[in-house]
Amino acid sequence: MSRAAADPGQDGPRAGGPPLVDFHDVTVAYGGRPVIWNVDLEIDAACLFGIIGPNGAGKSTLLKAALGLVPMVGGSVHFFGKPLREVRPRVGYVPQRETVDWDFPVNVMDVVLMGTYGRLGWFRRPGARERQLARDSLDRVGLADLAGRQIGRLSGGQQQRVFLARALAQQADVYLLDEPMAGVDMRSQEQIFRVLAELKAEGRLVIVVHHDLRTAAEWFDRVALVDMRLVASGPTAAVLTPENLQRTYAGHIDVLEELGRAVATRGRTP
Amino acid sequence: MTLLGLPYNTLVVAVGVAAVGFAAGVVGSLCVLRKRSLVGDAAAHATLVGVAGAFLATGRRDLATLLVGALSAAIAGLAALLLVRRFTRTRDDAATAIVIGVSFGLGITLVSGLPAWGYANSAGLEQFLLGHTAALTAADAMLLTGVACFATVVVTLLFKETTLVAFDAAFAAATGWPVLLIDAVIVGLVAVMVVAGLPAVGAVLVTALVVIPPVAARAWTDRMSTMLLLAGTMGLVAAVVGVLVSAAWPRLATGPLVVLAAAAIFGISFIAAPKRGWIARRLRDAARNA
Repeated sequence: MSRAAADPGQDGPRAGGPPLVDFHDVTVAYGGRPVIWNVDLEIDAACLFGIIGPNGAGKSTLLKAALGLVPMVGGSVHFFGKPLREVRPRVGYVPQRETVDWDFPVNVMDVVLMGTYGRLGWFRRPGARERQLARDSLDRVGLADLAGRQIGRLSGGQQQRVFLARALAQQADVYLLDEPMAGVDMRSQEQIFRVLAELKAEGRLVIVVHHDLRTAAEWFDRVALVDMRLVASGPTAAVLTPENLQRTYAGHIDVLEELGRAVATRGRTP
Repeated sequence: MTLLGLPYNTLVVAVGVAAVGFAAGVVGSLCVLRKRSLVGDAAAHATLVGVAGAFLATGRRDLATLLVGALSAAIAGLAALLLVRRFTRTRDDAATAIVIGVSFGLGITLVSGLPAWGYANSAGLEQFLLGHTAALTAADAMLLTGVACFATVVVTLLFKETTLVAFDAAFAAATGWPVLLIDAVIVGLVAVMVVAGLPAVGAVLVTALVVIPPVAARAWTDRMSTMLLLAGTMGLVAAVVGVLVSAAWPRLATGPLVVLAAAAIFGISFIAAPKRGWIARRLRDAARNA
């Protein structure tokens, strides 16, 4: 399967112009060892898009390559038909929660305000407009009353929602989220999912790196199965077939267990 | 003119060193929060080579000349650190230890060898080892004050950018900020403050002035801006205590006194700070178990 573009959606509006995101032959290597090979993927409609695969499959790396955080050996990624540097304010990012030191001396409001820095540029400090935007973002993730709290005194789920609020403050059109549901309590998961669904309803594209097959089938409109290479992509029900999952998870110890769960979940959802 | 029984020159020097202590605490806070505490140490140990080199190259021994040499050597030391890490695949801590050892060995050899090689007027350079403020002039103090003000102003201007990179470099890069450049500013300011601290605290101990006050300040506050101000104030107090005590007992080197004063502040912070201090934590545990 060389060119596995997500086929035109039955769900979500068609953009008409260039695809919202276009991964073209993306290849990434760490220290000479390839971790992503020739991934070719177009997403041309606003939707909830899951990037699914086993641990070490290169899902996060694919996201980081798209954002220019890791160098690509080959290929390119375009947003709205343009290179990232021309459209950076329109691309929002939620990194993995463990990548920062939560004992850092900042409060919730400070972190959310960082979402406005990209548009502010050098030297300018956030003003009343940015503070209002940050408060609105916190309100959307249900943390309005914790604005003044030091970020270390939050639960894991609350920390993840702070990161989501920071991305909301970016006011982007495409959102890339790296494992936003990892180590997060049920209440926060539901809240995060609700916000992501709202973003989609507003016509934005939400791409989520996700490892839990059980929830993938119910959350995402479309998915890409990745195991170093792109195994399959398209509407969730069409992609999460036992054959595709077998190909994606082959060689991984947890394959049978995950497969069983996924197929069981898929049976329950339309 | 005297104040508190101290000569005018001692007072002026105390003001200069106090300014350096303040700026070192402010700049050091960024460095500690960016998890680069040992960068200052590598830069500091490389400075001696620059001090000796500047003297050999120019034959002059005024403070400005020697400090320019020290700064060049500090930057060269940091560049060596990057090269060792890049091309020998040595881990961060090991690379730092190598640069510290080699550059310090070279610096000591040069400074201690100069008199033996016939440079009779090189006496005094070894004071950069442990710091000695008695020999500083009012003009030297003005120079140090100027450098400290410069570093503080840069941090004030770039507070938003440096905080962002220190907290979440990946997000900063993803949103278009030049993380390498901002990191270079932080590390560059640390090198500048290490060099400015050299005359008072010396190459061996100056890194303590960059690391101890920020860590002590963190115990008292959860706010970044407060932490920077507090670390600056603690660095200032430690520096002044060191200068005044060594003015009273000229046989004592200033550097160790400054570090001991900073350590005392650290000890008090660790024990007595509200919320994060040892006493507060014990009280909380007791309340929970009651």
